Amino acid sequence: MHRMASESRRSQLLRGVLDLCLLAVMDEGPAYGYEMTKRLGERGLAIVGEGSIYPLLGRLERDGLVETYRAASNGGPPRKYYRPSSAGRLALALGVSEWRAARDAVDAVLAPVKVEVA
Amino acid sequence: MTDFVEQCRGEWKRLGVPDPLAEEMAEDLASDLREAEAEGVSAEELLGSSFFDPPSFAATWAAERGIVPTSAVPGHVRHRPLVLVAFTALAAITLIVSALLLATGEPKLSLATTRTSPAGSSRAVVHNVSAATPVEWILLLLALVALAFAVWLWTSSGRRRPTAHA
Repeated sequence: MHRMASESRRSQLLRGVLDLCLLAVMDEGPAYGYEMTKRLGERGLAIVGEGSIYPLLGRLERDGLVETYRAASNGGPPRKYYRPSSAGRLALALGVSEWRAARDAVDAVLAPVKVEVA
Repeated sequence: MTDFVEQCRGEWKRLGVPDPLAEEMAEDLASDLREAEAEGVSAEELLGSSFFDPPSFAATWAAERGIVPTSAVPGHVRHRPLVLVAFTALAAITLIVSALLLATGEPKLSLATTRTSPAGSSRAVVHNVSAATPVEWILLLLALVALAFAVWLWTSSGRRRPTAHA
């Protein structure tokens, strides 16, 4: 019960910033879908349960926040690579600023709470 | 894995996604699933809850890309324009009221009234006589036409095929 509620909260928190996370990992270097999932996973951000990144990548593409191109990947079939457009980089910068402000405000509220896990 | 991609293809075809775009998305998805599988990551792990509902996943992806309207996504609540709802309600009310007026006796409203008094009467007794085209009949006719138009609008918006513009 507690676990389900926790996963639901995590899912909701992540939903609001997943686009920023995607823009951030592709800003490190162009990446295709699964590659981005791996980069997020390496930082402990598993997408399992949150749906998939594909619709979100589609939205970023529709909004002109990413540029795409097709290229072969390590001898495999051609893949669709994503990288932030100039508008995407601006959105990332603004989004990170908003995230930090929100995180600091929430931290200020939650910091005094003493956590005791039985 | 292949079954998941094929179900997505089927959904994109049903939604009217242009073949080149559907093929591109299917290839990207299949390549990612293959790579993930080779690394021991299951399709369920990669796609999360979407794995259990390929049509919804496919429709959401296409809608987010702007290839099909959001209303094509299963579970999407279509918000009818308030004007259409009001128009339909007004037509229905008019139809009911005019039908009731006609059913309860001779027309009580008319476009024109004729005042007559019996000949030879010493006192002027005035009667209102309905005109040839009573308002109830006109309202009934208008309401029927309006309702037919409203039904057409509702059904056509429900059947409207998505248009691709990506």
